[in-house]
Amino acid sequence: MRTRHLSVLLAGLTTITTAAFAPASAAESDRWQVPVAVKKLDNGLTVVVSEDHSSPTVGVSVVYHVGMRLEPKNRTGFAHLFEHLMFQGTPTAPKGVFDQVISGGGGRNNGSTRADFTNYIEVAPVSALDRILWLEADRMKTLDFNPTTLKNQQDVVKEEIRVNVKNQPYGGFMWIDIGQHAFQKWENNHDGYGSFQDLENASLADVQSFHRDYYGPNNAVLGIAGDITPAEAFKLADKYFGAIPGRSTPTPPDYSEGLNTQEKRVNQTDALAQVPAIAAAWKMPARGSRDHAPMAVLGSVLAGDEASRLYQSLVKRKQLALSVDALYGLTDPWTYNGPTLYTLFALYKPDSSADAVLAAIDEEVAKIAQGGVDAATLKRVKTKMLADWYNGLESYIDRADTVARMQTLWGDANVVNKIPGWIEAVTSADLQRAAKTYLTRANRTVIDRRPTAMAAPAAAAPSGQN
Amino acid sequence: MNMHKNLLAVATSLALVAIGGVAFAGPAAKLPSQLPPLAADKALPVPQIAQKTLANGLEVWVVPRKGLPRVDYVLAVRNAGYAADAADASGFASLYAQLLTQGTPKRDAKAIAEAAQGYGGTLAANALNDGVILSGYALPTQSEAMLRLLAEVAQQANFPDAEVKLAQANALQELKVSQAQPGFKATRALLAATYGDHPYGHTQPTEAAINAVSADKVRAEHARRFRPERALLIVTGRISADEGFKYAEAAFGGWKGSGEPIADTAPARREAKPQRLFVQRDGSVQSAVRLGRPAIAATDADYIPAQLAGIVLGGGFSSRLMQNLREDKGYTYGARGGLNALRAGGLVQASADVRNEVTGAAIGEFIYEFGKLNDYPVPAQELEDTKRYVAGGYLIGNQMQASVAASLASNWLYGLPPQFLGEYVPKVRAVGADQVQAAAKKYYATKDQSIIVVGDYKAVQSQLKEYGEFKLEK
Repeated sequence: MRTRHLSVLLAGLTTITTAAFAPASAAESDRWQVPVAVKKLDNGLTVVVSEDHSSPTVGVSVVYHVGMRLEPKNRTGFAHLFEHLMFQGTPTAPKGVFDQVISGGGGRNNGSTRADFTNYIEVAPVSALDRILWLEADRMKTLDFNPTTLKNQQDVVKEEIRVNVKNQPYGGFMWIDIGQHAFQKWENNHDGYGSFQDLENASLADVQSFHRDYYGPNNAVLGIAGDITPAEAFKLADKYFGAIPGRSTPTPPDYSEGLNTQEKRVNQTDALAQVPAIAAAWKMPARGSRDHAPMAVLGSVLAGDEASRLYQSLVKRKQLALSVDALYGLTDPWTYNGPTLYTLFALYKPDSSADAVLAAIDEEVAKIAQGGVDAATLKRVKTKMLADWYNGLESYIDRADTVARMQTLWGDANVVNKIPGWIEAVTSADLQRAAKTYLTRANRTVIDRRPTAMAAPAAAAPSGQN
Repeated sequence: MNMHKNLLAVATSLALVAIGGVAFAGPAAKLPSQLPPLAADKALPVPQIAQKTLANGLEVWVVPRKGLPRVDYVLAVRNAGYAADAADASGFASLYAQLLTQGTPKRDAKAIAEAAQGYGGTLAANALNDGVILSGYALPTQSEAMLRLLAEVAQQANFPDAEVKLAQANALQELKVSQAQPGFKATRALLAATYGDHPYGHTQPTEAAINAVSADKVRAEHARRFRPERALLIVTGRISADEGFKYAEAAFGGWKGSGEPIADTAPARREAKPQRLFVQRDGSVQSAVRLGRPAIAATDADYIPAQLAGIVLGGGFSSRLMQNLREDKGYTYGARGGLNALRAGGLVQASADVRNEVTGAAIGEFIYEFGKLNDYPVPAQELEDTKRYVAGGYLIGNQMQASVAASLASNWLYGLPPQFLGEYVPKVRAVGADQVQAAAKKYYATKDQSIIVVGDYKAVQSQLKEYGEFKLEK
């Protein structure tokens, strides 16, 4: 770990990917090469290991290549509900065992559901690694399809939606509602949290078929980071997962869609909020396309931190907004594998308006489209992005999860070491092109959400729906 | 934003002070016979802290590490936080901390933000009850420059009039945003019910307090609050102790305090008459339920057993509250609780947001779990698992250098010695079930807990009768 050369090369592996890139202009001592070793088991499970003995702990992530896009129609929210049910026991390890074993082993665990994947993550003292892998393998085989736990988690998920959406001002409109308006295909534009009716209608048969279809080893990646060698980790993976047969996975529908060709404006009212807010979203370039890294850098130039163009404009100079934040779907600029959005979310002042905020955004975008970004700014932003990328890999749980996600979505865990170079290679001309191609009015979807109490007549939307 | 199985931040919290724990609602689940055994534990790493005090009184601790390419700095300033705010200036410290990075004679706010960005880092300040934390990090080649920037801000922040005005205007709007959230209202009521008139009892901003801020006041407070003999600089990451001390001397050697330092915070009360408060929130589809009472400071002799009792009760996903209210009853997305101990006092609290229909039933389960913790010793396996959970939390936090720095800084603010971090796990390991139960009887007795509900009174009123007479607040 932390060496710039890969420490292990094992004989007999199906594949070994060695990490190999660092930005040319960053000082040598600022570089970090993350060790990555990859092996595919006979049943199709891909195992990615990042060795690091600086802490006697280990991070584990099992990433399944299924998320909200592929949940059954008329079962909105099912991929997420299913994620909850993965913690509800198996015939061998009934409800309660999973959490008890991990907590009692000194560990922490969690899971999350995204558009393109669902991940199950743990971190623990390395003494608990065998147990964690055993538990993950156990629930990959089958679940305890049980009506009581299904009902329990239907209730819990509804409480989750109440606490995060229904009982909260803004109700997550900048990440739930925005996609419903921006996308055309059901896979991309339905509510991944789900309607209460669809959640209530979920049956044990649904749970069984989803597990059978999408939770086999061939549709999963196991990431392990920390105090273990790749050789040991591959051996353990084979020991616990090797005997699970692969299962056929349905061919996904074509959920690709092009950029939008006409701006969409939506007005909403909010009974709980006291301060108005706006979300403006643009469809992103396809993953891995030549515009991908430029769009990521452009996103940071515009709204990466307090030095960014939009923070300085909207919050500081024009003083229209309290804040401006950038969202990349439900993940980050590098973790998607289908249509996704670059979304700007701002709380704006009562004496301002959505139009004023949009005009200020357009002004900054136009500057870049016309004149690019000066060298000093571009260098600063890239330096920060490089450091942020490393920061996200510091903890073992995040490192295991990142390498597993990259393997799942890019087919290459070593993307974790390529991203710094991709960032470094972006030029001012690339930013101009990205700004002109993606951050256009036609490709934009806007939600203006105002407190009901303000009861101000909404400004006429230029090409409005709703 | 997250669609997580739970709301616990598993990956980023050091989990030494208030987070972490495992326990079970009933008898522990029977473990499958096929489950592999735990391997032998490795030795607990203990942070090696090189310590030095500069001539002006600034303490400097350097913790060299071989982790990712980054150097982290934390400047903790004692008595500079919320507890130093006047009674009519509640929440002042957060506005003040936010303004620290908004200008010096050499650089305006934009130049400060751009410098930090160019170092591959950030520079930010935040207020806590017992102090203000100014922290920054940078890539190794930029680490010396980042410390100079941090020192410039600490010593020369000049709080430009226009920045103060903008921060005030924004704070008024942000207060409206906060007030729309049930948790904010619940915290306000809980702090008042537990700490009363003590400064810990009013740390949230008010409209009047925000309006009363002026640039002159902020400058005067900065002079009073930021002084070397009240500060600790922690340096950690890819840096040697010698380098760390050298950079610190160069950046902070000339720092001098002026005027009279702020007096230490008076001890907070340890007992309070339990109250029943209902805070009306129109249109709520959930009730934010909180229980709590004042308790003890982090330096109290009962701290470790009281902390452990809280972790059994509501410290982690496997805690009794989570297992009961979520995993058994399905009342909530998350229930938690425990001890939050600070420098001059602390409180015991428990919380869950539950749908309107089960508000009364949820309070009943809280009371049941508090009672059980009082009436029965924690079973041996559950206690052992909880201790392992605490030890694991320590190890997990120790992976991350910013987390180590943050823990050392909070402990120092609370008045705990530097070695406390490395001694915490052995101290927890030494606690017996009898001590946990004794702590539960002292600090987790049901009869001592105030109960606060934020929600729609009309919708849940009829469920509350058996828990006492609730005073209705708007």
